[in-house]
Amino acid sequence: GTQVKDVVIKSDAPSALLLDKHADYIAAYGSKKDDYEYTLSEYLRMSGIYWGLTVMDLMGQLTRMNQQEISDFIKSCQHDCGGISASIGHDPHVLYTLSAVQILSLYDNVNVLDVDKMVEYVRGLQQEDGSFAGDKWGEIDTRFSFCAVATLALLGRLDAINMDKAVEFVLSCMNFDGGFGCRPGSESHAGQIYCCTGFLSIAGQLHQVNADLLGWWLCERQLPSGGLNGRPEKLPDVCYSWWVLASLKIIGRIHWIDKSKLRSFILACQDEETGGFADRPGDMVDPFHTLFGVAGLSLLGEGQIKDVNPVLCMPEDVLERLGLHPDLLS
Amino acid sequence: MAETENEVEVLVQRVVKDINNAFKRNPNIDEIGLIPCPEVRYNRSPIVLVENKLGVESWCVKYLLPYVHNKLLLYRQRKQWLDREALVDITCTLLLLNPDFTTAWNVRKELLQCGALSPERDLYLGKLALTKFPKSPETWIHRRWILQQVLRECSSPGPDRKDQGDGDRHDAAEKTRLSEHLHRVLYEEMKVCADAAGRYPSNYNAWSHRIWVLQNMAPGNLQVLHDELSSMRQWVSMHVSDHSGFHYRQFLLKALVRELSQSLSSSSSPQHYHPQPSSNPSHSPHKANPLHQANGEATAAAPCPSPHSPEDLASMPALPQLFHQEVELCTDLIKSFPGHETLWCHRRHVFYLWHHWRRDHHYGQGFGSESPHLNHTDAGLSSHPHTACPGGVGLDRVQRRNGQAQEGQDAMEVDGVGVPDPRDTKRLKRGPPGPCPPALPSEHSFIASVLDSCRSPEQGRFALAYRKWLDSVIGQ
Repeated sequence: GTQVKDVVIKSDAPSALLLDKHADYIAAYGSKKDDYEYTLSEYLRMSGIYWGLTVMDLMGQLTRMNQQEISDFIKSCQHDCGGISASIGHDPHVLYTLSAVQILSLYDNVNVLDVDKMVEYVRGLQQEDGSFAGDKWGEIDTRFSFCAVATLALLGRLDAINMDKAVEFVLSCMNFDGGFGCRPGSESHAGQIYCCTGFLSIAGQLHQVNADLLGWWLCERQLPSGGLNGRPEKLPDVCYSWWVLASLKIIGRIHWIDKSKLRSFILACQDEETGGFADRPGDMVDPFHTLFGVAGLSLLGEGQIKDVNPVLCMPEDVLERLGLHPDLLS
Repeated sequence: MAETENEVEVLVQRVVKDINNAFKRNPNIDEIGLIPCPEVRYNRSPIVLVENKLGVESWCVKYLLPYVHNKLLLYRQRKQWLDREALVDITCTLLLLNPDFTTAWNVRKELLQCGALSPERDLYLGKLALTKFPKSPETWIHRRWILQQVLRECSSPGPDRKDQGDGDRHDAAEKTRLSEHLHRVLYEEMKVCADAAGRYPSNYNAWSHRIWVLQNMAPGNLQVLHDELSSMRQWVSMHVSDHSGFHYRQFLLKALVRELSQSLSSSSSPQHYHPQPSSNPSHSPHKANPLHQANGEATAAAPCPSPHSPEDLASMPALPQLFHQEVELCTDLIKSFPGHETLWCHRRHVFYLWHHWRRDHHYGQGFGSESPHLNHTDAGLSSHPHTACPGGVGLDRVQRRNGQAQEGQDAMEVDGVGVPDPRDTKRLKRGPPGPCPPALPSEHSFIASVLDSCRSPEQGRFALAYRKWLDSVIGQ
């Protein structure tokens, strides 16, 4: 018979949560990076900072990070058009505009930026069919619809865009299996599903989702190892523990997953020596997978971690302060 | 070993030059790669050109990348000027090392806009980058931007068109040239996607790009859709875990269903089919597309898809035949390669398409014991008009879908596209004798036969999941 694509968790894989090691890993990240590695990933630096700070906040360790330095950095990433770039000198994009607003929301310091200009930038990305471009060059993707509304929601400026049209476009990306792709006609993908269900939550349109059908597709992502993949016949990856799990939480079907098996998988992705999480057991760790491993555990009810909001992937207490309560289906 | 800033600068400038000279020496370079070579060698170029493969020795990359990266950013911040040639060379080097560096691609977009670069050059650069980084999202995104420029150029050609006198003949020749050009570009894209798909399993970005290309460069083109369906058969048979590859077939089928169904509907009311009947070039909307006509006729000025000619339709297999072939392919693969979730997913998709096409286009009750009642999932799906609708096409499909119920009924009995009633499998449609397309009873027998004979527990699991899916999603 055929072996199902999956990993096998070794008996000596980590099974306890090593939060202190993860906090140390993130706090030291960047300072030890040699020029080459750091340069390679500079094109997404703003998102990298968001991943690091958010996971620290979830672990109650945000104060170990340098707020002033980060605020100054973000300020120098806002361009004349209002959009924010990933790093100084890079071009602005809606992805990094969202990350910047998320970071500053953690610090309750959004006003270091020119908010009105930023809102104008996001508004200007909306197309006639309701979709959103990522930047002035025009690439369309449902990820950008999510980034746009998430940014505006955090700023309390959702009225800046044509919401009905935006919803219409996202719904046009719904597939027969209940999932969503990046554009109309594209394959369903857990990452895109997260963006679209998150979008619909913010837009107050979750009732348009076929929760049973989509929930079924999502829980079919769980493999014998307990880990989740993003599409059929792909290997499990800890980041899908976020994209899939958060989507299930949003549509009220998180109980369709075997929680304890997933928890074991996520814990096995930790690196006991260096701290941090990898995509799957035994691989190299990075801040991206560290955030989603910890956030996934939070959704599963881990007591040592702060509650995470499944729509915005930020601590619930931050959203509480902002008065943001995106819809969830029950 | 610490290098002085000057040593690094000298080294890097040499390497950048070597890379660009390599391209000049050999315009047929078709692959890039990193050569593991940790030992620093100052007196020898780290750029290696063997046949059509360009290699970079790994020792130089840690100097090379940060240097050119920072140089480009200094330019971007207007702290240091770089002339066009330098920008072209630097971005080329950068993107071959780090093709997800969005800003570098954007610099090239600007160079293209001011005429310092041609679209072909960036399509070539992207193609090379994809040999080493087949998923690179920014490379695919840049590619789509380039292709949009190409499309724009082709739909509104240069000023000499406006010369009168020889106007019409010139127009027709120009249209043909553009159409052929676009055809070449289209097929080159198919090849780039296929290569990238082969380098990384279930390459979402490569396949979604492929779909984008068809949606934007050949919307409604029956010939292309059908050719793609045929040519992909072998590929998917050799990549039975590739969910994206099979999804591509689902996309093709869905697009074929739409095109062929609309032709059926419009055969009785051609006026109704065209929201924009004018073929006046001055009325062309932004997305005028020279590849529209299935029969290859260049229609650079056509604002929207024309109805397919009877010749086109006759040369296409009928829909039931297409579905039967797809299900047969799926059956063969499921039996030959037990335990592949992708194959069972494909079956769901194909059956779903078939089931809904039958329901939308045929009067009377469903087949066999099928109930036409919508269960709540179906109702959920059809409650908004955009479900399961491949987008990116000029016409507004929404109206068509909602209006299908009435029009489909008139379209029933067209020659060659009738559907046999499985209650009486001996009653054949007109036209060539065809096989029996899938129906719920035959699907349930298929599941039963798989369960009876399978030895793989996964295969059994997937068969049962398929049965559960048929029961809950399709109904009964």
